[in-house]
Amino acid sequence: MSRPISLIRKGNVCVPDYTLTSAPPLAGTDITIGGARLTAPADLAVVSIALPLGGEAAAQKAIKTAFGTALPEVGKSAIGKNGARLVRLGRDQAFVLFIHATPDAEAVVAARLKGKAYTTDQTDVWCALEISGPDSRAALERICPLDLHPQAFAVDDAARTSMEHLGTLTIRTGENAYLLMSASSSAGSFLHAVETSIKNIN
Amino acid sequence: MSQTNRIKGGLIDRNQVMNFTFNGKAMQGHAGDTLASALLANGQRLVGRSFKYHRPRGIFTAGSEEPNALVQLRSGAYQEPNTRATVAELFDGLTATSQNHRGSLEFDLMAVTDLMAPFLSAGFYYKTFMWPRAFWEKLYEPMIRKSAGLGSLSMEEDPDSYDKGFVHCDLLVIGAGPSGLSAALAAGRAGARVVLADEDFTPGGRLNAETLEVDGTAGADWAAQAIAELAAMDNVRIMTRTTVYGAYDHGIYGALERCTDHLASSGGKPRQILWRIYSKRAVLAAGSTERPIAFGNNDRPGVMLAGAVRTYANRYGVTPGQQVAVFTNNDDGWRTAADLAANGVAINAIIDTRDAPAVCDVPGARHIRNAAVVDTVGRKGLKSVTLTDGQVIPVDCLAVSGGWSPNVHLTCHQRGRPTWREDICAFVPGADLPPGMAVAGAANGSMTLAAALTEGRAVANAQIKALGMTPSRKAAPKAEDEPRDCAPFWHVGESKNRAWLDLQNDVTVKDVKQSYREGFRSVEHLKRYTTLGMATDQGKTANIPALAIMAECTGKTLQDTGTTIFRPPYTPVPLGALGGRSRGKDFRPYRLTPSHKWASENGATFVEVGNWLRAQWYARPGEQGWRDSVDREVEMTRNSVGICDVTTLGKIDVQGKDAAEFLNKVYANGFAKLAVGKVRYGLMLREDGICYDDGTTARMGENHYVMTTTTANAVLVFRRMEFARQCLWPDLDVHLISTTDGWAQFAVAGPNARNLLRKVIDAGHDISNEAFPFMGCGEVTVCGGMPARLFRISFSGELAYEIAVPARYGNSMMQVLMEAGKEFDAVPYGTEALGVMRIEKGHAAGNELNGQTTAYNLGMGKMVSQTKECIGNVLSQRPEMLLEDAIKLVGFRPVDRSQKLIAGSHFITKGDEATMANDQGWMTSVAYSPSLGHSIGLGFIKSGDTRKGEVVRAVSPIHGTEIEVEIVSAHFIDPEGERLRA
Repeated sequence: MSRPISLIRKGNVCVPDYTLTSAPPLAGTDITIGGARLTAPADLAVVSIALPLGGEAAAQKAIKTAFGTALPEVGKSAIGKNGARLVRLGRDQAFVLFIHATPDAEAVVAARLKGKAYTTDQTDVWCALEISGPDSRAALERICPLDLHPQAFAVDDAARTSMEHLGTLTIRTGENAYLLMSASSSAGSFLHAVETSIKNIN
Repeated sequence: MSQTNRIKGGLIDRNQVMNFTFNGKAMQGHAGDTLASALLANGQRLVGRSFKYHRPRGIFTAGSEEPNALVQLRSGAYQEPNTRATVAELFDGLTATSQNHRGSLEFDLMAVTDLMAPFLSAGFYYKTFMWPRAFWEKLYEPMIRKSAGLGSLSMEEDPDSYDKGFVHCDLLVIGAGPSGLSAALAAGRAGARVVLADEDFTPGGRLNAETLEVDGTAGADWAAQAIAELAAMDNVRIMTRTTVYGAYDHGIYGALERCTDHLASSGGKPRQILWRIYSKRAVLAAGSTERPIAFGNNDRPGVMLAGAVRTYANRYGVTPGQQVAVFTNNDDGWRTAADLAANGVAINAIIDTRDAPAVCDVPGARHIRNAAVVDTVGRKGLKSVTLTDGQVIPVDCLAVSGGWSPNVHLTCHQRGRPTWREDICAFVPGADLPPGMAVAGAANGSMTLAAALTEGRAVANAQIKALGMTPSRKAAPKAEDEPRDCAPFWHVGESKNRAWLDLQNDVTVKDVKQSYREGFRSVEHLKRYTTLGMATDQGKTANIPALAIMAECTGKTLQDTGTTIFRPPYTPVPLGALGGRSRGKDFRPYRLTPSHKWASENGATFVEVGNWLRAQWYARPGEQGWRDSVDREVEMTRNSVGICDVTTLGKIDVQGKDAAEFLNKVYANGFAKLAVGKVRYGLMLREDGICYDDGTTARMGENHYVMTTTTANAVLVFRRMEFARQCLWPDLDVHLISTTDGWAQFAVAGPNARNLLRKVIDAGHDISNEAFPFMGCGEVTVCGGMPARLFRISFSGELAYEIAVPARYGNSMMQVLMEAGKEFDAVPYGTEALGVMRIEKGHAAGNELNGQTTAYNLGMGKMVSQTKECIGNVLSQRPEMLLEDAIKLVGFRPVDRSQKLIAGSHFITKGDEATMANDQGWMTSVAYSPSLGHSIGLGFIKSGDTRKGEVVRAVSPIHGTEIEVEIVSAHFIDPEGERLRA
């Protein structure tokens, strides 16, 4: 085997010549205007889970074992062990959201599911903003076609929609709190859309 | 000027004085006034000039149906033309000017057109400006547009902002008059989620304009109490200053909220909001609009609708005149006389077309039965009216009532047709309403207050039941049925002078009759021939009388005559509101590549590619233009190594036991046997055999593939594959998810690509040519454990890789690659160099995959498998698509190497004339090849594959160029592919 070019021997350990640093597009966002606060959750990992055709029951069982909560119905989410949130997006598709800084979220979930479901890392596909506070709903009314009235959209409900031409996953995480996820490449436009909505109601 | 016409009473706040100007003249009004009521209070009757004849015009109505009193509000960039003074709320500091005149409003030079009226009747333009044809665009139209017209734009950017929004409810109540309030109360008390929208700033509708009582209290007071009760309900949302302008599919209504139009400044907040109201059910309680009677010179300032005159007196404490007469064909007109008389205004006469006893006692008023007004006097303001019997009555205000027309507009927005009701002389909503809508009150032909209140509750309760909820048992508010008898009477036949129907577009009774005589008899023809109802007011006051006159001419009933189609919007919606926030940089979302920050710090010029901003080239100091940068990037990449962010290419994660079979069905070439650790080029066809998209797919594991698509088609390909998965082959175990944004992917190309990558890929991953050959792929780690994906694929034709890391490390990865590449003089390259290199290599891209070409055209016909079932392979074999002389993709180079090729040029055989008939094909892509030192091109030409060496002409009539080009192989560089396999 050839000499490991990328490693330089320093004492007894090898350290790489180069290191990569993480720079998620919305990192550090924390804006409060009137009765709404907008923050970007740090280190939010997203892994998609697909239920194999014909293997749904086994996959559901594995999910329950892995996360301590059953896969919820489509359009609902549920909190499992260590605060992981399972979001059911379709008959055969779910997301698991959890706090995990290192770039191995998919491997972690895959290991827990023991091959009973297909997993794909979605962490960097998405950017996330949490809007919270009493003005949240009024602000979202300006861009969100969903009916977010408490009677229509209960805590832990989840739905996909389009806001200002941006595909968005909306999860109601609290009485007055919503987690909004959209494509990470258009994070700047997304932040602008949500922030403008808050400014426009104040 | 003082408020000479101000009388007692009204809903205005006399403690709040508002200063405003009209044509520079300082005036005062009060909070609660509209501009129209304030102008009338100040005795200003002349407010504008008419569209066509520049006739002096005044205020005609007291609401959104106003055809006459169009003014310009504000100044500078905020200037807004064509605003109806009758709905413009007065605020302190308002500046208003009249419009459509040359010189002053009083002495409009364009009024000369009125003298030419005999020549300017209906159809004038159609008949006069027919020839010479070329004159229309250059001379006639600009001239006509200049002389006719309304206000003017500021020609500056609109400094206001606008917003949009979404509202959801169980029941939308449109209109907060008596029936709307009654409906909203019933629904609100039942616990339904109610939205009550009203265009006015003070809800209550006609209750604010009348002296009628509800539940024993004054109508306006009852309305205020009802609003207070509704406002206290959590389940009710009251939206004032909000016009519901359209009824769309699925119970969705369009509404415009005017948030700051009543304020001196918007304070940086959205001026208007365009709402989409999602309703499960709706109650239309839009009320009715009074219509005029047509008689000679009935357009003079001072001739007004009777209900409006009453509104000014009762709601605004203003009398439009000191000597008033009423001209009516119905009982309702009498209330104007009674209400004004009660306020001490002199009523000189009540002229009733009917031979009937007095409806009520009006002190001091003469009741003239079976009579009509035949003409008027007073050019800039009414002085007297002349009756059919010749008697002249001095008046400064004539209140006219021709009956009331239910506001059926929204009931017709989905092609419903109204039906004629003889008993009330009006069209009422037909049976075919938009789904979920019910109509109540005057809008439904229930013309009395008692009927409106009762029906509002009943209709709301029916809607509540239909929603599966329990209606409130509380009784409807009580009122009396006021007299509403109406006799059909549309125009005064004895009038010799012009009798106006459409005040805004200057359409007269004579015009309608002429339209009939000239064969334009259907209502839709009438509208287009005379322009009746085509102005900004959409003929709200004019249409029904005009239809009645047409019915008279044809001898048909009004039911058979019908109405023109009502379409949204009910009242004008500013384009700014329709645009909302979509302006400037925010016109649409933008997408950034992971290395965008690095690129912007390193001289990149960006180009829009779909929504993406991609680095086009990276300029270095001293470079004279983009070509310098691009040539350098190509040369340095081909000589050593270059790096390009290729994240924008679509990435689709494909997993499942049947993934291989699935891919084999969506790609035209074979994918069933792709080995783990290998990448393959794939071509997708449309069902009709035309090329759809191309890309590569890597097999990362037994059941795991990663597909790439073109940047442009990423979403379309994903959508189409999802359709195939769910609908075409639901029995396959295959799962798709986009990972385009998840991985920062970089092309590392050039002879030193491997050497560079060895510095960042962790030891233990053997990327030698033997271990990791061309078209290999695999998971590696970089920079000490960072998970990454490596693909040995090449778009440039060089030894090349694409390396992907999680996107959040992408900017850092670009820095690392450049740092590690220093010893090789590594360069970043942009989309231009990428394009040059792919043209040099003869790779097809968007210009070649243009939705018209097949694999056969591209020289890839043999790739389309005929031994499997896949999308497009059957129809790709149609004989017409496989003709011998079909166009084929080949390369072109100028015979004179110094000449520059032009994309889009068409190929013509030497000696042939450059005509369509002789067209041989076209040049799709061109570039200056730094590697060859001359211009090169790709293109399609008939039988191109068998014509190598032939010289043809590349002709571009647009550029006026003709260049001799030689047909060559599309592979200008390394045709054997030795470099990419190195």
